[in-house]
Amino acid sequence: MTTLADEARYLHHRFFPGPLELEVVDRYIEANRVCLTAVESYQSGIMHKIVSRRLDPVAVEVALRWRGRDSLLTKKIQILFYLLEVRSRYYPFFVNQERRRCHAVLALAGSVLFTLYAFLKGSYLVWRHRLV
Amino acid sequence: MFDVIVVGSGPAGTSAAYALRGTSVLVLDVGYRGMPAASLKGNIYELRRRYADLFQPLIGERFEGLRNIWQRKISLKLKAPLMSFVLRDWEKLCPLRSDNFEGVVSFAQGGLANAWGAGVFRFTSRDLEDFPVKASELTPFYDELTALMGVCGRNDDLAPYFETEAQLLPPIHLTRFASDLLHRYEQRHRYFRSRGITVGYPRLAVLTRNHNGRSAYQYENLEFFRPYDPAIYNPVFTLDSLIREGSIRYEARQLVLRYAEGPSGVEVLAKNVDDGRMTTFRARRLVLAAGTLSTTKLVLQSNNDYDERLPILDNPMSLVPLFRVDKIGDALDSSEGSLAQLVVIYDGPGVSRNVQATLYSASGALRSDILFDLPLSIKGNLCCAKYLAPAMGVLMVFHPGIVRKENYIRLAPDNTLEVNYECEPLGAIERRLIEAFRKIGYWGAAALCRFPPMGTALHYAGTLPMKATPGRYQTYPNGRLFGTKGVYVVDGACFPSLPAKNLTFTIMANAMRIASNIRSDIG
Repeated sequence: MTTLADEARYLHHRFFPGPLELEVVDRYIEANRVCLTAVESYQSGIMHKIVSRRLDPVAVEVALRWRGRDSLLTKKIQILFYLLEVRSRYYPFFVNQERRRCHAVLALAGSVLFTLYAFLKGSYLVWRHRLV
Repeated sequence: MFDVIVVGSGPAGTSAAYALRGTSVLVLDVGYRGMPAASLKGNIYELRRRYADLFQPLIGERFEGLRNIWQRKISLKLKAPLMSFVLRDWEKLCPLRSDNFEGVVSFAQGGLANAWGAGVFRFTSRDLEDFPVKASELTPFYDELTALMGVCGRNDDLAPYFETEAQLLPPIHLTRFASDLLHRYEQRHRYFRSRGITVGYPRLAVLTRNHNGRSAYQYENLEFFRPYDPAIYNPVFTLDSLIREGSIRYEARQLVLRYAEGPSGVEVLAKNVDDGRMTTFRARRLVLAAGTLSTTKLVLQSNNDYDERLPILDNPMSLVPLFRVDKIGDALDSSEGSLAQLVVIYDGPGVSRNVQATLYSASGALRSDILFDLPLSIKGNLCCAKYLAPAMGVLMVFHPGIVRKENYIRLAPDNTLEVNYECEPLGAIERRLIEAFRKIGYWGAAALCRFPPMGTALHYAGTLPMKATPGRYQTYPNGRLFGTKGVYVVDGACFPSLPAKNLTFTIMANAMRIASNIRSDIG
């Protein structure tokens, strides 16, 4: 089985550049212990498949969420995001500090298209790897 | 033997104690207290840039800031680690069971007002239609409270809904999003008024200049994380000064379990929540101000009544996001505050009682609090949260609470409160507001509206309503509980109806009114 530390590093790698600090890894492990006490084994199995097979968590997450599934993956990403957002290194990823109107409009338009692509890809991955 | 025992130290209890100061008053309270926020001084955005890691004050060693991920959602203000004292132990001390009502109870000093939006709105004669009390009876107490707390705002288009106020402090500085909206509303005034929509400044118990020894609001955006901002009124400020002056006696850690009346007054049985020791306190009068849910439990428990279904009220609410396309990609202005910005009243077709909305900016809270509610992929949502936040505001819409016979609160034999609360589907007024604001360049979509479950508004009321001729489990206009000689209800429980307004200011004024009558009574 993959460990929670592997999971934290893999999820971080898919969203943000650079390595994940050890302090955040430790907090991620502890947060999982505190917040996700009642995780069913099949849900853990899905996380194991995603991490060990290097599946795209962005795609799988949106595919599961759009189908109305209350997924463990969403909760794990959310935990990681909270732990990162309170660190100054990640401040620019969450807060826009300069006026960048054109960039923002293009990025938002791109996000809509990317989401559609991610949903299709995620739906395929969910079917291919039996993630539900 | 005390003259009066007051149960609770929230807005009602503190206001009652304030009106009774000088008599022999005992306040019984569990009274959990928060820690001072030593590490949170300055603007939240400056702090987040300056300090490598703000895990402790924003998330907490016990991961309090993550609780909405794994437990049912609560207000963002209640989940911050430094605010966790507000809901400490409530599920143990006043358990509540429901499939459709997500209420909470506070046993903190100051009660749920530790996390309030500080909106202070007088009830007008129209709001008080179902009350056996006239607006003029509340006016002197509203005035006294306004002088005590300090209220900012402006006598603008909303004055008919909030009454004209003589002693207002200047209003807060609006965000650009809100000031532009107000400006455009003024330009299209006739259009909005013809549709029954009025926009204006909120009345807030927030100091915009120093007042009564408290300092003015600093626009630090820390409302979501830090308790006891001196600029934002908290009943604890009044409670502390009453204790300091020796005007009242305050007993903390006392959970009142029941009361019983005897020939010489009222006996109150309380349990120390730390060591379990039981104590009986005696007084000539008892004032119940523990908050609607706790007060209801106390009354039913004292009557050993595990059958009666009492009415209950709360404001159904919705969240309506609005966007300004021309502000997408603007830099976040960290000096803008996260307090209520504007109030919108809908008093047009389709409603018998007006609906009130408050506009908030998207600043202050963590982006992680909102980005998982957006509809795109997580990467897309991150992009939205970053670039849309300066272009976004959220209308928090309150609808009137209506008495319905299927809605009830009951004490189950296991001493758990049972609540059933159903409400009509919402959305029609929200669509009208979206349509109107679109005319001035503020875009919304019905699909993006959110309808939190009942109980989320925290405006609980109406379980022991005041009536001109009350019956069982109802109260007289002077607050006295039917069938008792000296037990008074002064919190939201005694409200017979619930307009679409924050009720805290009226709870305080009404508690003072009732307490002043008691004071006259006991000489």
